[in-house]
Amino acid sequence: MRVIRQKPMTLGERLYIFEALRGLWTTLKHAARGLFRYETLPTISYPEGKPEVRNTYRAKHRLMLRPDGTPRCVACGMCAAACPAHCIFIEATASDDPRIEKRVMRFDIDHLTCVFCGLCVEACPVDALRMDTKEMVFEHRNRDDFVAHLYDLTNWDPKDYPDDEQSQVAPGGTKNAEALRVWGMEVK
Amino acid sequence: MSNYYNMPKLPTENSPKVEIFVDDKPVMVPGDTNLLEALKAVGIETPHVCYHPYLPVSGNCRQCLVEQEGPRGRMLVIACYTPVAPGMKIYTPASSARVKNARKATQEFMLVNHPLDCPICDKAGECTLQENYMEAGQNESRMRPEYGKNYHGNPAHQFIDAKGQLRGGKHVDLGPRVLLDEERCVQCDRCVRFMRSIAGSEQLQLAGRADHTYITTFPGEKLDHEYDLCVTDVCPVGAMTAKYFRFQKRVWLLSHTPTISMDDSLGANIWLDHADGRIYRVMPRCNPEVNRSWLSNTSRLAFQQFDKNRLPAMGFRVIQEVISETKSVGGKVALVAGGACTIEDLAALRMLKDSLGDSAELFGGTFKKVGAPDGIAMSGDPMANRMGFKLMGVPDDNLADLVKRAGEFKVLVTVNADLFGEDAAAASALEKIPSRIALSAFNDATAAKATLAFGIRHWSEIQGSMVNSLNILQKLNACPVCPDEKLRPAYEVLSELAGAKFGCASEAFRQAGAYAPALSGLTYDSIKSTGNLLEGGNA
Repeated sequence: MRVIRQKPMTLGERLYIFEALRGLWTTLKHAARGLFRYETLPTISYPEGKPEVRNTYRAKHRLMLRPDGTPRCVACGMCAAACPAHCIFIEATASDDPRIEKRVMRFDIDHLTCVFCGLCVEACPVDALRMDTKEMVFEHRNRDDFVAHLYDLTNWDPKDYPDDEQSQVAPGGTKNAEALRVWGMEVK
Repeated sequence: MSNYYNMPKLPTENSPKVEIFVDDKPVMVPGDTNLLEALKAVGIETPHVCYHPYLPVSGNCRQCLVEQEGPRGRMLVIACYTPVAPGMKIYTPASSARVKNARKATQEFMLVNHPLDCPICDKAGECTLQENYMEAGQNESRMRPEYGKNYHGNPAHQFIDAKGQLRGGKHVDLGPRVLLDEERCVQCDRCVRFMRSIAGSEQLQLAGRADHTYITTFPGEKLDHEYDLCVTDVCPVGAMTAKYFRFQKRVWLLSHTPTISMDDSLGANIWLDHADGRIYRVMPRCNPEVNRSWLSNTSRLAFQQFDKNRLPAMGFRVIQEVISETKSVGGKVALVAGGACTIEDLAALRMLKDSLGDSAELFGGTFKKVGAPDGIAMSGDPMANRMGFKLMGVPDDNLADLVKRAGEFKVLVTVNADLFGEDAAAASALEKIPSRIALSAFNDATAAKATLAFGIRHWSEIQGSMVNSLNILQKLNACPVCPDEKLRPAYEVLSELAGAKFGCASEAFRQAGAYAPALSGLTYDSIKSTGNLLEGGNA
């Protein structure tokens, strides 16, 4: 056991009023700095200023797209199997493309249940699911809107991911034309 | 390829025990079977692909290799085709690195051109190849990625994919119910052997040789046999897939309820695979005495109608009033039981008859044609519980009598009996009966003609028991897929009408023992999963 002896307060400290004024001065100092020199503050004034988010941050999900614009997801259900929060709901159907067997018909992620662990991204065998959208704010009017559907998950712009080659393959990306040529190869 | 006369001999309870040496340890195994089954009997699983206990031994996959001590030293033999001999010395991977390597190499060869389809394959999760890989394989891939997969099968279905690999045969339409993926096929020829020696109609063939082998039908012909969906069961990989279950559900999400198919008097043992409160597929449940591993398409696809056109459970009070009025006023009551009635339903029906006294009369039977057994998994008799009717003293074939004497009756109660649906012309006489009460799961023709229709649970949703045509007492289990929790089993409704409500199936079964001496020594819980052979059975 260790005994810590408190230093007895001096008379000025015991009088309280001087210490209170000293604290008030600190507050006033920071208030004045916020008014006149806010750029030197170490905090971000949130709605106006946004924090810098790296693409490794586990944000809202997105589904990668093939050159023809269909989701790369093959509806294998590995993400749903890996999900500890059971927030992914997938329904599969047969694909119209003869080269592709199975396609996703329904892909719902309930972001109210999601714990943003990223296990679904790890589980995906075709690298279809990613969490690199940097969208970390979820605000909706009702609970149903927090469920991201297939449309929301595939509705992203390749221009937001300029450094990612895979994203540029999607329609609207810089590598789309080239990828589409390979993709549309003659098949028997 | 396969020698169709060579069915494997399976061990039974009466098999003679012989001593063999497995990894130099003496063990007692059944002596009249093959090595694979003998090792299985003592708990040593041997990975295999082409061997199936109810198909002729083919021995083409070479996955079940073990070492046997012979006159020329230790040799690799396939366990599925080696008969057990007393004193033989066997070495499994537990002691022999050679066996381990041989199995690993076999596994590697099998996977060389097998596509990486597991994420989209319907068989994933119950695939023999996956299981064997975990047990015998687990090799590092020695494939050169620049070559990739190289499929040589049916030349008509070859294509080059976006990665430049030679692929082929992804969805070949074999017939109305089965789809073939030639690339996934490992040429075990189980489906060919099934069609040849079990179904008796050689609709599938192996074409080509060696690496170029592929499964096909004869030109211009289709796979359209009554048992063709069994080939999707015997297929160890995802090559044969059923169209009705394709991409419906990943198999590991399904729960399984063991029960009995009540549309045929053989009472095929089935698994009801269900998830999210509905049945996704029906699989045969292995019962060596009854249906082995087979199930007819009729029984397998019947589940698609189970949740459609159902009757709600309303108006029970009115039925009670009609019954009690008949009791007080007098007038004859005809109680008709249909073939899907369980032993418990019949016990409750007899109780109802006893409570009504002499005014009530029991009828049973069907207007449907009774066919002949096909020797696989159907007896052809649509009256599923016919032996149970006989056992319980309920007439099983006197509907003609009921139609003839329809004028005598005031009340007609039908339980699971769709008289009007089966033969409207014969049943039209029954419309003379003033009050017709139909207890039925479905809103069928009889329910439409009835003055009172009351919904009960379907046989897939109840506990119960039935006696099949081989006199085997079999147990039905309730699959939790009932569309409405208010629906009740027929035995509960009937026993409440009789005045002594059964709380559960075991109570009703105990009551059945009072009517049928053959059941009196048994309890509901003592019925085995493969059924109990009753006295006088000929199974």
